[in-house]
Amino acid sequence: MTDITGQPTPTPTARARHFGAVAARGRRQDGVFHAVTLAAALAVLLVLGGVIVSLIAGAWPAVRTFGVDFLLTETWNPVTDKFGALAPIYGTLVTSTIAMAIGVSVGFGIAVFITEICPGWLKRPLGTAIELLAGIPSIIYGIWGLFVLAPFLQHNVQPFLIESFEDVPVLEALFQGPPYGIGVLTAGLILGIMVLPFITSITREVFDTVPPMLKESAYGLGATTWEVVWKVVLPYARVGVVGGVMLGLGRALGETMAVTFVIGNAHRISASLLAPGTTISAAIANEFTEAVGDIYASSLILLGLILFVITFGVLALAKLLLRRAQARSGGTR
Amino acid sequence: MEPAPPSRPRSEIRIETRLADRPTADGVQRPAEKIVIQDLKFFYGDREALHGISLPVHGKRVTAFIGPSGCGKSTLLRVLNRMYDLYPNQRAEGSVLLDGTDILSKRQDVNLLRTKIGMVFQKPTPFPMSIYDNIAFGIRLYEKLSPAEMDARVESALRKAALWGEVGDKLRQSGLSLSGGQQQRLCIARAIAVSPEVLLLDEPASALDPISTAKIEELIGELRSDYCIAIVTHNLQQAARVSDFTAFLFLGDLVEFGSTETLFTSPRDQRTEDYITGRFG
Repeated sequence: MTDITGQPTPTPTARARHFGAVAARGRRQDGVFHAVTLAAALAVLLVLGGVIVSLIAGAWPAVRTFGVDFLLTETWNPVTDKFGALAPIYGTLVTSTIAMAIGVSVGFGIAVFITEICPGWLKRPLGTAIELLAGIPSIIYGIWGLFVLAPFLQHNVQPFLIESFEDVPVLEALFQGPPYGIGVLTAGLILGIMVLPFITSITREVFDTVPPMLKESAYGLGATTWEVVWKVVLPYARVGVVGGVMLGLGRALGETMAVTFVIGNAHRISASLLAPGTTISAAIANEFTEAVGDIYASSLILLGLILFVITFGVLALAKLLLRRAQARSGGTR
Repeated sequence: MEPAPPSRPRSEIRIETRLADRPTADGVQRPAEKIVIQDLKFFYGDREALHGISLPVHGKRVTAFIGPSGCGKSTLLRVLNRMYDLYPNQRAEGSVLLDGTDILSKRQDVNLLRTKIGMVFQKPTPFPMSIYDNIAFGIRLYEKLSPAEMDARVESALRKAALWGEVGDKLRQSGLSLSGGQQQRLCIARAIAVSPEVLLLDEPASALDPISTAKIEELIGELRSDYCIAIVTHNLQQAARVSDFTAFLFLGDLVEFGSTETLFTSPRDQRTEDYITGRFG
């Protein structure tokens, strides 16, 4: 028997053998493919594990010397080799809090304006401006903060703050002391500007995923823009919004260069937001070149480990919150 | 988070202003004209989508807008609650009188207008919240009720939408957990919970299976005695089944308007006849 090309038609058994061979080759190829993807995935775990192990190993001398006291003392004295991380931890948390307060409120405002209110011709320029803001390297924020923002705050804003809150309980403590320009508040402000584009662009993206019909249904009941955004758009976009906020928070916690420029780098905790302070990443960046003693270097590495743990904790908390929020709304989205 | 800023008018806006059916000289009850559309033109940017449409929408009756895709029937519906206001390039000319007041006028408070005119969309649009809150959402915008009153309002809205039997025992579940047909009835319940005077239905059954569609149609039949209903539909049988009046639109023009029976049995215009007999569209 021959087919139309003149080739002999394979017998059923030859055909089966041929198919078997092709399938076997496919299995081998797929096996290699699986191994390659597995290797890529393992590489990530390996790098992560390596970082954790080397952080712990490097920090070990400091852990052995100071123990839990490292977390609880404010002293940071390279001369006597006494180190405590309380001031940088405090500085990190306070600057990040200020940054998030600014970033989230302004970022939401921009996102809502762009998606709900903005006239068409302004949308694109505004969106581009936000993206450009994200593209500015942090060193530029640093020098701008040091040479422009800090003097401006020193001369125009801080004296006013000090004066205004002079006799107000709590606030008086937050805004006291000489206006240096640089300090915790300035660092928080810079960080706020830096996280703003992240929060804005992600919030805006998730707001855009809300079906127009859903918004129209709310408008159709007589709701105002504020009511539609607050009660329909935000709940619908909740998961994405929290994600964006957490991404911003991650950046704020870890941001080094800009903060190092404007925070003043003083290892002390003051109630006043106008006083200089330090953050974990700023302390490491500032001091690693001069960390000659073993304990000094080890203490800096331990600082790094603490930052790692804080960031990891924030991420874990975010996931937990999201899962809980999802469970409550009946497994939606 | 309680909305309802004090400056906003509350329940007094829902004083029954619906016009009763007026007896006419010959003693026959004729439906009142709830909405009167006069020479309405509508523009998407520079494109004119409606070319001067005039027709009445009667109270306590169902009026169907039919026509091939792109004829402007949904556009017409969206003018009635000024939904187009949300989009900067869209505008309407002419007048639309609701109980004698021109709702296209700049002085018309759009939010207030929309509390009087409920809308249901092609696809179910439950809010991402519980069944209860979906219904309570619109009520809370304008009224401050005690929990007991609110419970009663929610129940009554769900009963009117023929949904209470199915969801009465799971009001705390997410509205998104319901089936498509139930979600659509939830949306109808949400719309009637704020006691509107007019209901706009934009192809309310187009995304539903035949059984859910039948339930929606049955529901429309029950609601017609209380509301002025305007429905856009692609489905001619549906228009014939549920409506009292039918308007046939074609390419932005109103070709024919009349009682559904007349329009479907003896259309005056050739285009209407061609459309309802399935020759095009």
